[in-house]
Amino acid sequence: MTNSINEFEDADLFLVTGSNTTAQHPLIGSRIINAKERGAKLLLIDPRAIQFAQFADLHLRQNIGTDVAVLNGMMNIIIEENLYDRTFVEERTEGFDQLKSVTSRYTPRVVERISGISAADLEKAARMYATSDKAMLVYCMGITQHTTGTDNVKSCANLAMLTGHIGRPSTGVNPLRGQNNVQGACDMGALPNVYSGYQPVTDTAIKKKFEDAWGVQVLDDKVGLTVTEMMIAVRKEEIKSLYIMGENPMMSDPDTSHIDHALSHLEFLVVQDIFLSETAAKADVVLPAASFAEKEGTFTNTERRVQISKKAVPPPGLARPDWEIICEVSRLAGYAMDYTSPADIMREINTLTPSYAGITYRRLEQSYGIQWPCPNEEHPGTPYLHRDRFTKGRGTFLPCDFKPVAEVPDEEYDFLLTTGRIYYHYHTGTMTRRISILEREAPVPMIEINPEDAKRLSIKNNDTVEITSRRGVIKARAEVTGRVPRKVVFSTFHFHEAPVNLLTNPALDPLAKIPEYKGCAVKVRRCV
Amino acid sequence: MARTPSICPFCGCGCEFYLASHGGRVVGIEPSPSNPVNKGMLCAKGWNAYEFIHSPDRLTKPLVRKHGTLVESSWEEALKTVAGKLTEIKSQYGPRALAFLSSAKVTNEENYLFMKMARAVFGTNNVDHCARL
Amino acid sequence: MKTIAKKDVKALLSLWTKEYHVLAPCRTARGDFIFADFSEESFTLDYKKPPLPPKSVFLPHTEVIFTVENGQFKETVTAHNVVLFGIRSCDMMGILQCTSFMTRDRNDIYYSTKNAMARTVVMACPGPQNETCFCTTTFSGPVAHKGFDLLFYDMGESFIIQTGSKRGEDILMSGPLSDIDNAVARRKIEAFTKQAVENIPVVDEITEAMTRLESGNVDEKIWEHFGQKCIVCGGCAFVCPTCTCFNVYDHESSPGHGIRARAWDACLYGGFTREASGHNPRATQASRLQRRHEHKLLYYNDTDVQGGLCGCVGCGRCSDYCPVRIGTLEVAKALVSN
Repeated sequence: MTNSINEFEDADLFLVTGSNTTAQHPLIGSRIINAKERGAKLLLIDPRAIQFAQFADLHLRQNIGTDVAVLNGMMNIIIEENLYDRTFVEERTEGFDQLKSVTSRYTPRVVERISGISAADLEKAARMYATSDKAMLVYCMGITQHTTGTDNVKSCANLAMLTGHIGRPSTGVNPLRGQNNVQGACDMGALPNVYSGYQPVTDTAIKKKFEDAWGVQVLDDKVGLTVTEMMIAVRKEEIKSLYIMGENPMMSDPDTSHIDHALSHLEFLVVQDIFLSETAAKADVVLPAASFAEKEGTFTNTERRVQISKKAVPPPGLARPDWEIICEVSRLAGYAMDYTSPADIMREINTLTPSYAGITYRRLEQSYGIQWPCPNEEHPGTPYLHRDRFTKGRGTFLPCDFKPVAEVPDEEYDFLLTTGRIYYHYHTGTMTRRISILEREAPVPMIEINPEDAKRLSIKNNDTVEITSRRGVIKARAEVTGRVPRKVVFSTFHFHEAPVNLLTNPALDPLAKIPEYKGCAVKVRRCV
Repeated sequence: MARTPSICPFCGCGCEFYLASHGGRVVGIEPSPSNPVNKGMLCAKGWNAYEFIHSPDRLTKPLVRKHGTLVESSWEEALKTVAGKLTEIKSQYGPRALAFLSSAKVTNEENYLFMKMARAVFGTNNVDHCARL
Repeated sequence: MKTIAKKDVKALLSLWTKEYHVLAPCRTARGDFIFADFSEESFTLDYKKPPLPPKSVFLPHTEVIFTVENGQFKETVTAHNVVLFGIRSCDMMGILQCTSFMTRDRNDIYYSTKNAMARTVVMACPGPQNETCFCTTTFSGPVAHKGFDLLFYDMGESFIIQTGSKRGEDILMSGPLSDIDNAVARRKIEAFTKQAVENIPVVDEITEAMTRLESGNVDEKIWEHFGQKCIVCGGCAFVCPTCTCFNVYDHESSPGHGIRARAWDACLYGGFTREASGHNPRATQASRLQRRHEHKLLYYNDTDVQGGLCGCVGCGRCSDYCPVRIGTLEVAKALVSN
């Protein structure tokens, strides 16, 4: 997020797209509901009628995967009607002419044909966003999990820059992070192209800095593989061994029968986890890890706030904290790691990671966290980014053209399946499905289907239905609901009984390598 | 009854709560009243984040596959197997034959160490996590 | 009566820790006020009401109620000699409500054993403790009327201590205390109470909401409005001093071995009333909210714990800790607004 959670309390308008905020980030969703009551506006762009739809001043239900067209259409109107922030565009950005030339092709009529959103609604939305003083753009995986995910994100950024809704409190582009330390995992360089603090592995000076600090000469200056590319490389037998810590690709990755097949190709699979997940069951060695309650460490939330978490109880049996296990493996592989505590590791992070330099345990113990960038121990942290300038200087408009989803429905596979989470469960369900109350609230896999489609297919509430894609088939119970539009079904990846990722399309965004979880072609029938 | 500050293990909001514990078991959750993120509030997942900690399904011993099945082992055996096998594959096929998947659920320190292990110990940039999933 | 200088309270609590598990207000390094094991470093007399009410001591958020070994079950009743220091009058009333419920037709031994081993030391409120509390409306404060073992009145530099039971007297047998003339103390207490009551005005909306609920003169749309925005966290039940509903769960570690535990449940979760058939008599969030608030403001009238009043002690927590502001206060105001 460029801005902070508490800034939601002062915004005039929220543009929420691809985020079921009350279900997935409830303590942010609640702030938007409260803001609505004090008079703020809510503009929702989402194919599904989520809880927010009841509060939205305007809800645009675009066809799945048409976000670029919708956002371009809004920008076209904003430019045409001269509603953009001329000063901001002139002083802080570059590439406006290219943006104008690309977006000018997205007239309301063109956008209506692509997205199904009426010209009148699109105009209303564009004006609402552009003319608000403090507008926060909020998005989540509904924007990113597409083969055009990068284009969607760029288009969100273009829209915010065009209207000057960035670099001030209660504005900004605010992607909500879905896991409690997904921000931290990125910040710490658990990525194939960067070390901690997003320092590129291809930069010679950076490489030298880490080699000196770590006392090695072996650092690779070529970018490694992303998780989705790893699975392909495994199938090609280019990767022989996979060491997985606390992840469950057998449930979370697209087209899981291929993942299953790939993992069987490995010479050696190590899984370090708190449960024998679907993935751990396939491992050669399983290492029992401590849960969040059984160790100390820091987590970084969606607003870049680094917070400390302490050990409350001992781990069960012989389970050990992940950091201790990593130290042991490294030591046995011939590289000494002699950290005595997570605080000890943080000291090294402070010295090697400029954005975390001032985030020390001493400070964290006595505060409710510090938001990076925090370059030194005197720095108070950074509630919102890009105040006076963008990191690179001027913000460049990166206009994109609309491209449809990779797998469009046809006569046989005539529905689009879109996937996500529900309120009561989290990710692959390894934790929440072991919580009785949450399991009681959502005990079985459901598939949402529109009443008109259900009627045509003779499907009633709670009927067992079969959903088939070109890659697999699952069975789930029908929830007949107007929450989904016609010709769209929605399901979740929480349930091993109905692993929806057997169906999803492994087609990737070319840059971010994110799979298209939000749209693949399926057919639906009632089981008899 | 001890109270230990902790961060909710689910979404990215980063709500803080105290884990109440007694005799090595978590017996409750109390949201931090003053943390600016959650101000004494939680969602249904946060309020109920205690039960899985003591699930009987928790892994309590290292497991090593022998003759096709996973059997309980000592830490020494499991760790030696991991370090030995990774070193062997690295020397036989080169560091890029190894890949490491880190986690969006473990701490910053653990993510840092894991990527350091992939890069400094085993010489590969094939390290990622499921931010995209 | 006894008095104690404020600066000596720590010493008194330290003394109690020799025999009791003392739970007292503390300020954490970060600045949170919570009730935790007494420690000289974190103890404070300048505190706010913590999110969890004292019911959490007698009915923990989750607790093992029996273990099974070789197919044989064994009850696990855990209890300690506890002193609860510094709870507020509303919370004392909350304990009485819970105890009444948990012992009325059947004795919940897990609860009552812990309750029986606890000493309660109430801190009378000189004024509202949060913007949302209304104990003078619910007859539950600012000064406790019953149930307490000791009651502290803040007199500036010192406290006057009123004893409410033999057990209260017993824990005052030693410590840095002085005597005060009973008549003088009573006058001071009377003045304190008069001022405190003035400082906490009666919230007419609460009483009027109760009347309206009783007469059925309620706009049903109110429940739909609140139901629409409820994010179903369950927090209102968890922070409520009088909510006692729990769910049970089993952890089977191997055949014939395991535990059964119970855990707080919330009537605002849909599954709370869903029947095995799948039918749910309270099918919507609106109907769940309606029932919850009727329960707090209407249905409790037969019990006599709180002067025959209701299931709400006016602590204000449900307003303070509801992410979307659906507390008793907000609901009552909405009920009487048309």
